[in-house]
Amino acid sequence: MHRMPLAQSKWLVGSFENAPCFEVSVMPNDMEELYNQRLTRYVTAMRNEKPDCIPIRPFVAEFTSKYAGYTCQQVTHDYEMAFAAARKCAADFDWDAVVGNMVYVWTGLTQSIGLKYYGVPGFDFPEDMGFNFIEPPDDEAFMRADEYDQLIEDPTGFLFNVWLPRVSNDVVAMGEPTSFRNNLSFLKGGMGMLSYFGGFGTQAQLLRSESGTVSAIAGILKAPLDILGDKLRGYLGVCDDLMKQPDKVLAACEALAPHLAHVALSGADPDKNVPVSIWMHRGCVPFISHDHFNKIYWPTLKPIIEEIWARGHQTLFYAEGNWNPHLDAFAELPDGSIIYHVDQADIFEVHEKIGHKFCLSGGVSNYLLAFGTPDEIRARCKEIIDGVAGDGGYIMDASAIVQNDAKIENMKAMTDFTREYGVY
Amino acid sequence: MTEQDKESKRPPGVCIPWEEKLKELPDITGDAELPKKIWEDVDALGYVYIWHCLLSF
Repeated sequence: MHRMPLAQSKWLVGSFENAPCFEVSVMPNDMEELYNQRLTRYVTAMRNEKPDCIPIRPFVAEFTSKYAGYTCQQVTHDYEMAFAAARKCAADFDWDAVVGNMVYVWTGLTQSIGLKYYGVPGFDFPEDMGFNFIEPPDDEAFMRADEYDQLIEDPTGFLFNVWLPRVSNDVVAMGEPTSFRNNLSFLKGGMGMLSYFGGFGTQAQLLRSESGTVSAIAGILKAPLDILGDKLRGYLGVCDDLMKQPDKVLAACEALAPHLAHVALSGADPDKNVPVSIWMHRGCVPFISHDHFNKIYWPTLKPIIEEIWARGHQTLFYAEGNWNPHLDAFAELPDGSIIYHVDQADIFEVHEKIGHKFCLSGGVSNYLLAFGTPDEIRARCKEIIDGVAGDGGYIMDASAIVQNDAKIENMKAMTDFTREYGVY
Repeated sequence: MTEQDKESKRPPGVCIPWEEKLKELPDITGDAELPKKIWEDVDALGYVYIWHCLLSF
């Protein structure tokens, strides 16, 4: 999910042999020209303007392994295989931008840290199923209901001292005797993370030089209430807390917000071309109420988006599920500050309400990509292009992350039809 | 959480503030800004580690 998350860190880019920023790649002029053409097309659309044609930017995850001949296990365990699969797709399909590796959980890293919340292909299920996140039962949430004050007082300290020992099989809780596995977890985890993040920089260069493909995003953001639900209290825990101790939930979101903004900006594109991405999970109706959205979710997210925009970066709202009940809130943001990705929502309603302010992307159902026919895909693409892309400001993509259930011929149909029909 | 942890303020990007580390050091001669900068640069990697564990992995 990150092109160069630590691009602003001198220590990362200057200290390792494979440091991406010091690589000098020689590429043919035509490839560089193609890259610049694609970048201009992509950025123009994201600014809600009209490029030469509709950019294609599919967020392909395990689809890359299917296409390139790897198993899910291989691309999850070996990030070089995942990078190679992504590059092969980028080179073979005529895509303008991709994520360097959308199979973002590298199990070499998560196993080193001892993280217990992932289901891993080859360990927990067959080798050709994608990894998944396993939320613990309500009574085993990684943060307890009575620990809000600790989190609010010192979020970073809480994560190291309380949260990490609970999510890791190896990290020992504060006050307990340390262990060999505990010590190794930090060493291997830190070294592994540097290695992986450094690999993204190299991957961006290779995408550029081999196929003229743009790395689609840089930097990660999650909404305070979403991350509280995802990794700390769990969804059921957050729901309970919203009813019983909403003030604590709000205070926790306010405490998390500056950290989330900092992480997002520290990974943002220094050239200010490609956006920070926010992965939006369960902060919308009906997962929470309108009241909780209006009083907690949005007031603690909106200032982060505004801060990122004030620093010159767009944010890609990857609105998983259906966030249409909240389009009026999103319309409060400055024109052009976000790109709005549509998953299961009615993309035409989205266009009507916020299309004049923001670029849209997505809308091609993953179900259709998996079970439909190329003709159905072409019909859907035509419907979307006719309905929302007339004035520019649209990027072709599937509704959600493309996994290995998508048919190759359907991805090709989406690509080829858009190239033929999506010319301005 | 230790008493030392409770005392420390950890703004975004920081695990152990330089001011806290400075208390452990003798009077610095020469360039006092250099060790501060290097401390903060490396300390920030610890911050990156834990927040990306939460957000990315």
